[in-house]
Amino acid sequence: MYRIRFHGRGGQGMKTASRILGTALFLEGYEVQDAPRYGAERRGAPIFAFVRADDQPINERGIITRPDLVIVADDSLVPVPAAGVLAGVDEHTVLLINSDENAGTWQHRLNLRCRIVTLPAEAGDRAELRFIGATCSGAAARLLGNISRESLQQAIGEELADLGSAVVANNLNKALAAYDSMQAQAGCVHPREETDASAYSRPAWIDLPFDTARVSAPDIHAAANSVEVRTGLWRTLRPVIDYERCNRCWWVCSTFCPDGAIRVEDTTPEIDYDHCKGCMVCVAQCPPHAIEAIPEQQAQEAVT
Amino acid sequence: MTRRLLTGNGAAAWGARLAATDYIPAFPITPQTEIIEDIAAWIDIGDMPARMVTMESEHSMITAAAAAAASGVRVFSATSSQGLLYGMEMLYTVAGWRAPFVLVNVSRGLASPITLEPDHNDIMAARDCGFLQLHCATCQEVLDSTLMAFRLAEDARIRLPVIVNMDGFYLSFTREPVEIPDAGAARRFVGDYDPENVRFRASSPVSQAVAVLGGAPYSYFRYESHLAAQKGLAVYDDLSAEFAERFDRDYPAIEAWQCEDADIVLVMLGSFATKARAAVDRLREAGHRVGLLRPRLLRPFPAETFRSLLSGKAGVAVIDQNISMGMGGVLHSELAGALYGQPDMPPRLLSFIGGLGGRDISMEEFFEIAATTRKAVEDGHTPPPRLMYTEQELREIRKLQAVASVEREELDNSGGLNNE
Amino acid sequence: MSEQTVSIYRSMKDLPSTHLLGTGTPMCAGCGGLEALNQLYDIIGERSVFVNAAGCMTLLSVYPFTPFRGSWLYTAMASAPAGAQGVRDALDILIGQQRMKADEDMQVVVLTGDGAAYGMGLSATSGAIERDLDFLYICYDNEGYGNTGQQFSAATPHGARTATSTGSRGYPGFKKDLFSIWAAHNPTYVATVIGAEPVDLARKIEKAMSMKGPRMIIALSPCPTGWDFDPKETVTIGKLAVKTGIWPLKEYIDGKVVHTKPPRERKPVEDYLQLQGRYRHLFEPRRNDELIAEIQQKVDRYWE
Repeated sequence: MYRIRFHGRGGQGMKTASRILGTALFLEGYEVQDAPRYGAERRGAPIFAFVRADDQPINERGIITRPDLVIVADDSLVPVPAAGVLAGVDEHTVLLINSDENAGTWQHRLNLRCRIVTLPAEAGDRAELRFIGATCSGAAARLLGNISRESLQQAIGEELADLGSAVVANNLNKALAAYDSMQAQAGCVHPREETDASAYSRPAWIDLPFDTARVSAPDIHAAANSVEVRTGLWRTLRPVIDYERCNRCWWVCSTFCPDGAIRVEDTTPEIDYDHCKGCMVCVAQCPPHAIEAIPEQQAQEAVT
Repeated sequence: MTRRLLTGNGAAAWGARLAATDYIPAFPITPQTEIIEDIAAWIDIGDMPARMVTMESEHSMITAAAAAAASGVRVFSATSSQGLLYGMEMLYTVAGWRAPFVLVNVSRGLASPITLEPDHNDIMAARDCGFLQLHCATCQEVLDSTLMAFRLAEDARIRLPVIVNMDGFYLSFTREPVEIPDAGAARRFVGDYDPENVRFRASSPVSQAVAVLGGAPYSYFRYESHLAAQKGLAVYDDLSAEFAERFDRDYPAIEAWQCEDADIVLVMLGSFATKARAAVDRLREAGHRVGLLRPRLLRPFPAETFRSLLSGKAGVAVIDQNISMGMGGVLHSELAGALYGQPDMPPRLLSFIGGLGGRDISMEEFFEIAATTRKAVEDGHTPPPRLMYTEQELREIRKLQAVASVEREELDNSGGLNNE
Repeated sequence: MSEQTVSIYRSMKDLPSTHLLGTGTPMCAGCGGLEALNQLYDIIGERSVFVNAAGCMTLLSVYPFTPFRGSWLYTAMASAPAGAQGVRDALDILIGQQRMKADEDMQVVVLTGDGAAYGMGLSATSGAIERDLDFLYICYDNEGYGNTGQQFSAATPHGARTATSTGSRGYPGFKKDLFSIWAAHNPTYVATVIGAEPVDLARKIEKAMSMKGPRMIIALSPCPTGWDFDPKETVTIGKLAVKTGIWPLKEYIDGKVVHTKPPRERKPVEDYLQLQGRYRHLFEPRRNDELIAEIQQKVDRYWE
């Protein structure tokens, strides 16, 4: 059984990507199962999608813990623990990362024994990249080695039918280009051997200790500890204040920020980049247009 | 016939459509929404000549569903967890109206704590209300069960509403190959809705669902519903045989996998039973004689069939994805009730509880379940029920509790953080 | 009976410059409801217990994180006002019997979406107002069942596309007039607000906080995910909702309805509709002048 896991952000089309791959495999005659997994289904937040393919009916479901192929549509997710990109990745796994850094850099950085393949990322705001899903599924199809160009084409046509022929054509071009670019590594993904019942690692079951209600009620005895959740990681665009142009209007940006991520200290507004989700309301509303939207990756590079 | 990738929700919507449903009262709840969205879209473009009404709550939804059925139309509806429970008063009430309809439940864990992920506590809460219950393991089964459910509900010997249960996320949002039966063939199988004498017409006035005072009369009505539900066993067998003949897919009341020569049998409901099936295959490869029973019918409870399938077995492990607070796994209790005191029953009946709120059950856990059951058979001793939870999971929750500022003192007193 | 208070909020610079509600919640980037909640919470403050019904905001507190500096209780979709009744009565009992110090008291605030407020929660709300419960009710109205994927609710406006009204004419029904339904119960105070008009919102909350009894607020909440627009437009769309007259900012107090910010020269509703994907079918592939005129007419009639 092939077990494939996609990682992306809400809004990047991971569900569509998994369905393109699922449909392509189905057209090739496989038994297929595909499913998205929503956490908080919000634009920008990490989401997963799973695809399974086998030549017999599939007797497995739910999360994929031992992937043969992991596809990362947005490389900014790799360091995010909640995104679980590397869960179950071992020497058998092929890790495909949509990134403008090369495989060697990633190999060195992650220090894992898996094979790493990179798919060059398009420049610009990730949120605007409408083809990420298509390019990722195109590349994945070639790495699997069992999907023809024709099946990929038909799958894209089917899954994107509602979006109109121009959109389909654009996505198809991108997908086929990605497909062709993986020629050298075609078929490098293999299904893994099934777990052996005569030699398995036993689950570390425990007898759950009894906790009194003071401990075991679903209550949070803390104030505003949500600040520990760095929603800033959702961001694909960063708002940056030009303090020369900022006229200390008292304080449009801070009031309109939906997340309350702009505070005003001593008449100067300060954006909390740990939590700013990059909605750009402040950019749109700043009266002297003193806030600029910069691609997050670029902004991070400027800092380092 | 068209075989295509369809989600469980999509399959349920197709079942409603192919059954020529007239009326769909609806109310959205995660993870059921795609069902009503599909149906709404078909109605909008004229592909489905039915009427859909979005009600203000599930209590109202179920009332409207049964009232429409009691007026003489074919009705379909869908809900989940909190919604099923919000309508619980009406589930009990309308079953006794003896007006049949089909309700798809997309199984999801119950508050508290509130969650969105699957388990079976919601459908278990409905087991006494008078609705029959069919449990599905694949998206194909969801579509097929919806068609069968109409026949089951509308059978003259039954005339009770039927719930078709599918797991949230694992079936509802997961696409799998589904053969959509030819519309004509499906229509012929389901037939026309015959309200019999339960309907409203100006020319034949009827007072339905009236109050009853007096224990003996009340008991009559209640017992008769029970007898009708029990007729479901025989009716279902005939029905599934007919379905198999027409559509070439076989759905016995209890699906048995590798059971004939098994010593140890796993018993499990729903889509995770497919994982158990894969585990059985691996265990067989390793030389163990293990089998799996997956009941599709939970109400009526197929006690006789269980007894015959489990006769002579050494050990049974029931895996419940539900928990009755203060008692344990529901399927385990029900099975124990069916087997107790009968000749040749397995001496070891073990209980395992897992998969609550979407918690995964790993292949290794299935292997361990089988191993534990084997040991119980060898030792001649049944261990206490196992609430499946690992050391790693406990460590994780302790970390969360620290963030939630559960007082350090409390955690220490219960042996919490320093528990390892 | 209300007092004649002079508001401390005359312009935006009178608004708080830092925000009480914690960042790091999983609401969508650009959430108009969260924007309103941030503004409301700054004035309501942490001596409050928020009682919540099922909806998007239920996910504000997901174990182990909460953004609240005050308290929170999640109940169920239909019964948040009943939960508020229980909390308020209990606090009164404790204070009355001196089992709790008066300075431990809190403002009881119901927080629900339009799904609960306009629909299955109406019965509990009616009961609470009828019993003259001393509480605040905040309804964040994104005109649909947002958390389940934006199916239509009783708050959905005529002609809007939702997940359950995908036909060419959109939602056939009309937005329920919750303001009038609540006002008919003769509570202490009813008001409409929007995050895009923060001074108006602040004045109303300040006023509500100075009163006792049932005080009912509806906050129109532009929703990028449900209404299909770029998150940065949240405030632009909010301002247009007011300027077109579609969202009248008003109060019910002392038996009378007063408009607090009537639009002087009403902009055509088209300006508002055009920015939202949920109304795209009114403009593409062909303009539906009839439906646009119908919407305009309804607004015109309201303001006559």
